[in-house]
Amino acid sequence: MMRFDRVSTGTLRAVSFAVADGTSAKILSASADQISELFAVCSGVRRPESGHVYMVDNDIYALAPDARIPFFRRIGMVPESGGLISNLKAWENLILPSWYHGTRPPADAEGEVLALFREAGFSEEQVQTLMRKRPDELTKYEKRLVAMIRAILMDPDVLIYDSLLTGLDREAAGRLLKLAQEFHHKKPGRVSVYLCPEDAAAERIRTDQTVTLNN
Amino acid sequence: MIPTALNPERIGKSVLGLFDYVRGIYELLSYSIKSLGLLAKPPIRQVFKKQIYFTGIEALAPITAIATLSGIVITTQITSLAGQNIGLTAKIMLWVVVRELGPLLTAIVIIARSSSATASELATMKIRGEIDSLKMMGIHPGDYLVVPRIAGITLSVITVTFYFQMTAIIMGYAFASLVGYLPFIKSLAGIVSILSMKEVLVSLTKAVVFGLVIASTSCYFGLRARASPTAVPQAATGAVMRNLLTVFVLDGILTYAFFV
Repeated sequence: MMRFDRVSTGTLRAVSFAVADGTSAKILSASADQISELFAVCSGVRRPESGHVYMVDNDIYALAPDARIPFFRRIGMVPESGGLISNLKAWENLILPSWYHGTRPPADAEGEVLALFREAGFSEEQVQTLMRKRPDELTKYEKRLVAMIRAILMDPDVLIYDSLLTGLDREAAGRLLKLAQEFHHKKPGRVSVYLCPEDAAAERIRTDQTVTLNN
Repeated sequence: MIPTALNPERIGKSVLGLFDYVRGIYELLSYSIKSLGLLAKPPIRQVFKKQIYFTGIEALAPITAIATLSGIVITTQITSLAGQNIGLTAKIMLWVVVRELGPLLTAIVIIARSSSATASELATMKIRGEIDSLKMMGIHPGDYLVVPRIAGITLSVITVTFYFQMTAIIMGYAFASLVGYLPFIKSLAGIVSILSMKEVLVSLTKAVVFGLVIASTSCYFGLRARASPTAVPQAATGAVMRNLLTVFVLDGILTYAFFV
C-alpha cells in the first residue's frame, strides 16, 4: 500500500491519495515541477513541510534517516533521467542495488537482464555494447530502461515511475510500458505508481485509478 | 570602512568554516573507522580496489621519478659536504628521507593527483543528484562512497610512502656508487644498521595521519558542494589547498611531538 496524507511542500498543497495493494495508479499534474517534487517526496530525499507518506505500512519520514535509506531497497524508483551513477558502466549500474543488498549476485542476474532487454527490442550483441557504455553515452530510452531493469532486479513491493514515457517515441514508450505492466503482475500485492505530466503519453498508461493534482 | 582583512564578519566566517571543517572531518573519519567492516561487501570492495588503483598504482610513476631525483640530490649534497662518510650519510639520509621527505612528498603528490580528483568526482555526483539516486536504491552514500575512499586513499598513502623511501634511498646510493662517491652495499647496510623502531613508527604515523586527512578532506569538500556550475572547481581547489595546509601543520606537530 502507498498513501499520501495531506502532504504539502513546494507547489504541492495537501495532496492525499491512496493506492491499494496489488493495484496501479497514475498521478497526473499539469506542472512538471509538481511531478518532480512528488517524486522527490516519494523517494525519501525531500521531507514534506507537513503531512505523511506511507509505503508498505511505514511512515517513511517517521523513520530515522539511517533506517529510511535501507527501507528503500523495498521500493523501486525509476527517475525520468534514469538516476544512473555516472562513473559506473551500464552493467555496473544495473546490478548495483541487487549486488549491494545481496539479493542477487551479478552472475545470476545475467540471464534475466538479457531476457528483459530482448523484450525491450535489443539483440544480444546490442546488449553487450550497451552494457559497456557509461550513462552519458546512453539515450533517454536506454537510461530509463536500465533504471527500470535495475529496479526489477530488486523485486520491489512498490514501483514508482517518474514521467516514464515523456519524450520517447511511440514504439520505445510502448515497450517500456509493456515491461512495466507485465512486471506489475508478477508479484501479488505489488503497487505501481506512474507520476506523469498531463500529456498524450500519459493517456496511454492504463491503471486502476487516476489522481489529478490541482495547482 | 573596515579593511577587508580585519573585517570581523569575514574573520568570524573563516573561524566558523574551520570549526565546520574540523567537525566534518571528525564525523567522516569516525563513521568510516566504525564502518570498515563494510569493505567485505563486494560492491564496496570494488570501489576500494578502484581507489587503490587510482591513488596508489597510478601514482607510482611520478613517485618513482620524484623519489629517484630526490635521492640523487640528497646523496650528492651530503657527499659534497661530508665527503665519503658512510655513517654520516646514512644518518642524514634517514633523517631527511625516512622522517621528512618520504611522508611529505608522497602526501603532496597524492594531494595533487587524488585529492582534487576525489573532491571533484563527489561534487559532480552531488550536483547531478547521484547521491540521492544511491539513497533511492537503499544504499547509504557514506557506506558506498566515503568508507572505501578513505580506506583506499589511506592505504595507498602508507604503501606509496614506503615505496618512496625505498626508491629514494636505493636510487640515491646507486647514483653515489655509480659516480664513485660511496660503496652501494656498505652504504645500504649502514642505513639498515641505524634504522630504529622509532624511525619506522614516526614514518608510519605520519603516513597514516596524512592519508586519513587527505581522504577525509577530499570527501568533505566534495560532499558539501552546492548546486552551481562553479561548485566542482571550488571543491577541487578547496580540497587541495586545505589538504596542503593541514598536512604541513600536522607534519610540524608530529615532528615536534616525536623529536623535541
